[in-house]
Amino acid sequence: MYALVDAVSFYASAEKVFDPSIRNKPVVVLTNNDGCICAVCPIARRLGVPKFKPYFQIKSFLDKHDVIVRSSNYELYADLSDRMMNVISRFCDNQYIYSIDESFLFFDNYANYIKDWQAYGHQIRQAVWKETRLPVGVGFGLTSTLSKAANHAAKKLSGFNGVAVIDNTISRDEILNRMNVEDVWGIGGKIAKRLKLKGINSAAQLSKQNPKDIRQQFSVATERTVSELNGISCLSWDEVKSPKKEVFSTRSFGQRIITKAELRSALVTHATIVGKKVRKQSSLINKLMVFASNSPHDELYYKQAVVYPFIMPTDNSCDMAQAINSVIDSIYIEGVRFYRCGVGAIELSSKSFVQPDLFMPDHTNGNLMKCLDTINHRYGDSTLNIAAAGHHEKWQMRREFLSPKYTSQWRDIPKIQC
Amino acid sequence: MKGVGIFDGDILIVDRSLTAKNGDVIVANYNGCFVCKLIDKTQARLLSASADFAPVFITPEDEFSLEGVVTRSIRLHHQSPELAACML
Repeated sequence: MYALVDAVSFYASAEKVFDPSIRNKPVVVLTNNDGCICAVCPIARRLGVPKFKPYFQIKSFLDKHDVIVRSSNYELYADLSDRMMNVISRFCDNQYIYSIDESFLFFDNYANYIKDWQAYGHQIRQAVWKETRLPVGVGFGLTSTLSKAANHAAKKLSGFNGVAVIDNTISRDEILNRMNVEDVWGIGGKIAKRLKLKGINSAAQLSKQNPKDIRQQFSVATERTVSELNGISCLSWDEVKSPKKEVFSTRSFGQRIITKAELRSALVTHATIVGKKVRKQSSLINKLMVFASNSPHDELYYKQAVVYPFIMPTDNSCDMAQAINSVIDSIYIEGVRFYRCGVGAIELSSKSFVQPDLFMPDHTNGNLMKCLDTINHRYGDSTLNIAAAGHHEKWQMRREFLSPKYTSQWRDIPKIQC
Repeated sequence: MKGVGIFDGDILIVDRSLTAKNGDVIVANYNGCFVCKLIDKTQARLLSASADFAPVFITPEDEFSLEGVVTRSIRLHHQSPELAACML
């Protein structure tokens, strides 16, 4: 048996843990730079607050309904995530943390010990609530895809109170019949559209397809999804999370950027972020895309993107800084008031399958990058940085509605009245 | 809460996993505010450790949840700048 445990609108719920004054109020959390709404708590959802709307467009609606607005407090979320995962881990000896607020559990040979999965799910929910004050949904299924479907039902479909179990064909069909095909794990927007053209609208319909036909028309991955929906487990933990094929870092500036030096440091800052992520998943960058633009609302819209191919694939942030240096002149134009810029690693290869070059010495400098990453992990991002990234406040994240760092800063620990 | 040895500015260690027993020092969310009191579960009351404060009865209209049991408290014998900022 598999289970997927995840938090209900995690960021918004996390904001309520150490602030009892907003526990019963509608709360939303904004993305980086306070751009869009990325999390809506259930109370705010009932008011009809939509997700992924730009904040400025919906500000008056939020004001009118006294919705509490918060900027993303990643330090707090990371810590609460650790606590939550810790509690969940007590319930199973095989836990796989899939994202900041989701974890899979695999119960091998538990049938003798757990007779009632429904009750076990409620035990997990109660323990996590009691010890972290985070609400979670629990879905059990015969495969990881079915546990994800059960989790969807537990949280989104009526009649399930935070826990759903798929342990036979009856409970499976009951849930899959009520699920849209795009809500199936592994079915992306594009595939969902193509499936719908063929008249496959529900998850149940997808599960009844012939896997071989699906493989021919779609891919092996979609074929596996169909098998998983039929209770045949074919995903292992490693495949569940495959390394990203592209890594981007991009952001709009709090204030416009006018000089070349500023644009360069902003781009190098993004490059270091990309570098860190690429190293974390043990990839190497073959091609780097560098882009900058002003705002589409400006009188003359300017956007320029340049792709820089590395001769030898690299994960060295210094190489990336050099790449930016060599393309900056084709991006920067005097007089343009830059609003947004970014860097993307658009062609990645695995570090374990590198074809070395006889005439090109390896200069990825793994030791230096390891040193950089270790120091920054221990003491916080940009403790150690590439000088070209500079130190400017202009493109620092705008986080106007940031809550205190209750668990990672002494001066922010919660106050209690006696 | 001086009666149980907890003074203004002390640090409390709160264990959410424990289940409170009568007379335990607890932290609760009482109407949107974290408070530290002694719990009387039988009569649904929050007691102060000092005789100067009368017990508070928890009514159905109150927003109340028990957040955890105070297992330790730490006296600071020397002011620390980080925590002084927190007391403002």
